[in-house]
Amino acid sequence: MTREGLVALGILGLAAPALPGIVVKTKSLLTGRRGPPVLQLYYDLWKLLRKGTVYSRTTTWVFRAGPVVVLASLVVAALFLPLDGREAPASFAGDLVAFAGLLALGRFALVLAGLDTGSSFEGMGASREVTIASFAEPTLFLCFIALVLATGDVSLAGMLGTPLAEAWPRAGASLSLVGISLFVLLLAENCRVPVDDPATHLELTMIHEVIVLDHSGPDLALILYGSALKLGLFSVLVVSVFVPRAGLSGPVAPAVLFLGLGVVAVLVGVVESAMARLRLSRVPQLLVGAGALALFGIILQLG
Amino acid sequence: MTLFAVSLLLIVTAGVAAAALGRRPALGEMLFRLLFAVGSVTGAVPALAVLGGATVPDVRLASRAPFGAWAFGLDSLSAVFVLAILIVGAACAFYGVAYLDHERGHRAVGAAHLLLALLVAALALAVTARAAVPFLIAWEMMAVLAYLLVVFEHDRPEVRRAGLIYLVATHVGTLLLFALFAAWAGGGGDFSFAAFAAHPPFSGGRGGMILALALVAFGLKAGVVPLHIWLPEAHAAAPAHVSALMSGVVIKMGIYGLMRALVMFGAPPPWWGWTVLALGACSGVLGVVWALAQHDIKRLLAFHSVENVGIILLGIGAGALGLAYGHPVIAVLGFAGAALHTLNHALFKSLLFLGAGSVIHATGARDIDRLGGLARRMPATAAAFLIGAAAIVGLPPLNGFVSEWVVYQALLGSGSANDAMRRAVLAAVALAFMGALALACFAKVVGVIYLGTPRDTVADAARERPRGMTHPPLGLAIACIVIGLLPIAVVPPALRVGSLVARGLPGGAGSQVASVGATAFTVALAVGLFVAWAVRRAFGRRTGASLAPTWGCGYATATPRMAYTASSFAAPLLGTFRSFAGFQSDRRAYAFTTYAFDPVLDRVFLPAWHAIESAATRLRSAQRGALSLYLVYVGAAVIGVLFYLLLAGRDL
Repeated sequence: MTREGLVALGILGLAAPALPGIVVKTKSLLTGRRGPPVLQLYYDLWKLLRKGTVYSRTTTWVFRAGPVVVLASLVVAALFLPLDGREAPASFAGDLVAFAGLLALGRFALVLAGLDTGSSFEGMGASREVTIASFAEPTLFLCFIALVLATGDVSLAGMLGTPLAEAWPRAGASLSLVGISLFVLLLAENCRVPVDDPATHLELTMIHEVIVLDHSGPDLALILYGSALKLGLFSVLVVSVFVPRAGLSGPVAPAVLFLGLGVVAVLVGVVESAMARLRLSRVPQLLVGAGALALFGIILQLG
Repeated sequence: MTLFAVSLLLIVTAGVAAAALGRRPALGEMLFRLLFAVGSVTGAVPALAVLGGATVPDVRLASRAPFGAWAFGLDSLSAVFVLAILIVGAACAFYGVAYLDHERGHRAVGAAHLLLALLVAALALAVTARAAVPFLIAWEMMAVLAYLLVVFEHDRPEVRRAGLIYLVATHVGTLLLFALFAAWAGGGGDFSFAAFAAHPPFSGGRGGMILALALVAFGLKAGVVPLHIWLPEAHAAAPAHVSALMSGVVIKMGIYGLMRALVMFGAPPPWWGWTVLALGACSGVLGVVWALAQHDIKRLLAFHSVENVGIILLGIGAGALGLAYGHPVIAVLGFAGAALHTLNHALFKSLLFLGAGSVIHATGARDIDRLGGLARRMPATAAAFLIGAAAIVGLPPLNGFVSEWVVYQALLGSGSANDAMRRAVLAAVALAFMGALALACFAKVVGVIYLGTPRDTVADAARERPRGMTHPPLGLAIACIVIGLLPIAVVPPALRVGSLVARGLPGGAGSQVASVGATAFTVALAVGLFVAWAVRRAFGRRTGASLAPTWGCGYATATPRMAYTASSFAAPLLGTFRSFAGFQSDRRAYAFTTYAFDPVLDRVFLPAWHAIESAATRLRSAQRGALSLYLVYVGAAVIGVLFYLLLAGRDL
């Protein structure tokens, strides 16, 4: 594990809340508004951390554990990503299963916390969240399989690290498809348009926002920070596939990564301004489509 | 083997004590628990030793018996199953004492304990038998004892129906086993497994026939789609601790049979591996989709057994393909993952069935839409069930994750093969799909049963069960956590089993190294979760917390009737599967309900049976009961055969 990698991990942790800010700013500028400052989420987090918590009388320890599990699982998942383009703080054969398992653990905790309130709105959000995730996870694995085939490595550090850089000349077409598929997944997993609209004002149309209706104070802060971090993790995946950084030395690799993260956030903002939210029943089709792209990437390599 | 025999004797004695002391149930049940516990521990010692690398010599009894001697042995493959049988058996026996407590007086409770003890002994004998005859005897004892336990509440007609379906299914399987062993032995009179293993290469289609017979016969027991139709019926009808034992270990006998058949057969042809892999993917995905549609908690859990058998078959399929194409690493990993998942599924599925049993015991309701809010009323049961649910979904740091990780390694590892094996990598997608759907399903189960508000008065009045019913699930939950935290302790023995099934091929070294990393990960995650929880608690004490009603988005009079139900929770997901999903919905202005059915049973088997029945009815017109008519039939048949032989040019 290089020093640059650790520093990059720290910066990712600190800079993650700026990503949703960039998305919103892009969206505002494209639609002719000024929009909130890029650093708005930091102000929100600071405000929430100083507040007390209100718990629903219906809830149990499951609700209280939810936000903690969500955040802890995402932080551990970040350890598997090779931020410097070569090595990850933690790595073992098959750790991509652990990465997906951690995302699932966070989702399970969030969904159960929502159901714990007994609110029909949160039940609805939970139902939609698991429905979308049921199609997102196989798609994520299709992407991972394509990467495994391209690199011959079964750890994230290898799949996104040095072997990936060597695989680009051979399997460039396939890897591009995987990158696009991962970008669609990023939109779905992070509840962005066209899957979910974080800016909506009607509970009936929400997915992620409606699960966390009853979270307040520091709990809500943990969840908001977790969402930003999750956006960061998926952006790292997308950037790592498109821009292998194994050849870059020293601080250049992390710098390229963070530049890439900014670009991805801007792209998300562009997508959000350019299209409307899909009907919920169409979302599985979108994800299956993304999966088909990755599958095509796999077939290119199997053939 | 001596310790093992002593252990079985102790367990049987425990059952006899419970049945014989029916007049003094307190003493009888105390003896039952004591002897059962001692017996299980005694039996677990040699099993653990074998898994640790020790070898135990085989025993040969009755060496002049027809069809060869009765040999028994304990190798690492048997040991995994013995361990699962004893742990789950003991938990179910303990639980059963408390669960059947209120039945005492109007049902034969002592006899049920005896049957359970005998069933555990028969299971243990089946996995240690090394010859066809003792194996078939143990197999048949297991089938009949399980039937008797399933129909414990035989006054209910649906229980009798389920029992009948189970009995027919299991005997079809036994018949196929007779055919299997006869085909394997050929003309030779030696039916010992050692003789089977030393077979000369099979000529013609015989090898293929043996493998196909094994797949159908053992697949029927394991509940592989489309042969699963008996499974949800039987598991739903039995008392909770019997369901736990059946779903936990009895169906695993099919898995044991498949793996034992592979040990004896050697490398199978590729088509067999691909078939197993495809069956695994179908069972897994369809099993969990059908589970999503269920509202009866026990049927739902039974369909999840179909799913998990699918996961195990993915491991076996990858292993078989590894053998067929000559990739030892994949073969060992595949079988190791299958063996480990078998043990893990035994632990968490019996835990879930016991938890469901407690809920039914407390509320009398099996329809989860009538429950809700039980985590407050039954905290220990809820905690154990939640851990079991997270484990079956395959979440780290629990045991389901460890075994799925090993299966994934086998499937992903096939990506680096350079032949047709490479395509097996796509099965990993099926595994991911199962995991995600299982998460949806168990979010539904846990959320609707334990969280939120009670939807019915039965749930409101529920109270925690006595310790006899909370401790066994909690014990199993601890086992799930320990295995989950220590991949380094369980992966090497699993690899030993994998290597045995792959006929001694080495190839687990890489995975042993990886299990160190995986252990660091699971431990770090557990510590991280704990620290985060502690920090949050400490921080929360500073900022303070207050209580309020759930935020109703402006609706002031939210009632429990407005809470999301299992029907509404699963509907969007099921809707995307349309006719595969096996559910019908009833949408009215004031209510939304869904009904589940089994598409294979109700759309394939039952129509087929009805078609056969109506064809047979039409044939009935030939049966007039007049002797002269039958003489005409016989004469016509003889003449027909004569003509056939003349035309075929044979000598008479």
